Amino acid sequence: MRLVALYAIATLVALALETTIPHWLPIGVLMPNLVLILVVDLGMKHHGAISALLAFGMGYAIDSFSGTHLGLNAFMLTLTYVIAYALSRYLISTSTAIGVILVFVGATLTGLANSVGGTGFEASSGAIGMLPGLALRAASSALFTPWVFALMGSSKRAIGLRPRPVRE
Amino acid sequence: MRGTFLWRRRVVLTSGILLLWALHMLSAGLAPGARAAKPSLALLWLLKPVLTIEADIADDTTGFIHDYFDLVNVRQENLRLKEQVAELEGQRTRLAELEVETRHLSELLELRKVLAMQAVAARVIGADATELSRTLILSQGSNGGLRRDMAVISTAGVVGKLIAVAPNASRVLLINDHNSGLDAFDQRSRARGIVAGLLNGDLTMKYVDRTEDVKPGDSVVTSGMDGIFPRGLLVGQITRVSQEGPGLFLNIEFRPAADFRKLEQVLILTQKPPQLAPDIKG
Repeated sequence: MRLVALYAIATLVALALETTIPHWLPIGVLMPNLVLILVVDLGMKHHGAISALLAFGMGYAIDSFSGTHLGLNAFMLTLTYVIAYALSRYLISTSTAIGVILVFVGATLTGLANSVGGTGFEASSGAIGMLPGLALRAASSALFTPWVFALMGSSKRAIGLRPRPVRE
Repeated sequence: MRGTFLWRRRVVLTSGILLLWALHMLSAGLAPGARAAKPSLALLWLLKPVLTIEADIADDTTGFIHDYFDLVNVRQENLRLKEQVAELEGQRTRLAELEVETRHLSELLELRKVLAMQAVAARVIGADATELSRTLILSQGSNGGLRRDMAVISTAGVVGKLIAVAPNASRVLLINDHNSGLDAFDQRSRARGIVAGLLNGDLTMKYVDRTEDVKPGDSVVTSGMDGIFPRGLLVGQITRVSQEGPGLFLNIEFRPAADFRKLEQVLILTQKPPQLAPDIKG
């Protein structure tokens, strides 16, 4: 329950920042995908059906504030969760470095899916032209990952959530 | 239970089901009012107060940030004078902000009178969460009489249409999003086409016959034929016309009249425009 509450509040804060900051400050693609970082943190450190549901819910929340295709971000973030979960189990590690790489790859793929899905497949060649912008946003997200992980780690300790071993 | 196959594979199984559900939502397209779209409106409703507070703070602070950069060089000359200037600048920014807001609102009021249609003014309180789609979040919702597919305009021109309406907030799909479609015509040549968004944020006018006399600099206005926007609202100005490719139609690109990055207040037309006979050629 504490896990759900923590990630729900973190998602709402992240969404509030992601929807407001780019409109008032000209940072454009440099705005990190904060919710994706939260999903990678969840996938690497919390393995369970509830966590998978949370990842889906976080994607659905992004869908509520972005684009016209309900389900696109829900799909991509659930997929990112599964990849983070599988990788942390396979490597038996929750290292921040792996998290940074996962966030970079996840943000690029999610951005690409949004571009292609949002523009329609007829414009997929144009979406390829957006790759530099997507890579920049992914890099910005990766840069913020250690801080978000640290913030989530201290929040979990503050509310008494014990980290579980990767292999259950 | 803990040792069973299902328990050991619970994450993969749950994720698999959720991925299929997400695909179902995507493929179904979820018609307006569908059950699965309701939680997204609840989320919009839940986050609106936070967005409003953030927008208030942003209004107050962006002026200060810009003023700070302007004053960096002055600081070395006289610190005390700089502090005084900064203080006065702060007051001036607040007053200027109030003045701008009042001007925007009176311009919107004027526009409402000119259009002679029922309309509601709303504040822009947020942007798209991913920056990859082009939507804005507005401070008014169904409590203010708003419904899906209502036209959103500004004093500069057409902005977009409402795609999601919560009780206290709503989302508008901008005309430069690729999923947007708007019936419009070239004001000079009267050539009619469908306006859609391009990836770079500009607009294109589709399905305009190659024989039409469309030129850069022409204004594109709404035709009033789509049942959403009244006729004659400015959409943008044509920047490029070409006949590249083997198609039957012209390649037309143009800039939107409204600067969506600087939008602060908009007007939502709560009354449907009168239906027109198709007297425009195209």
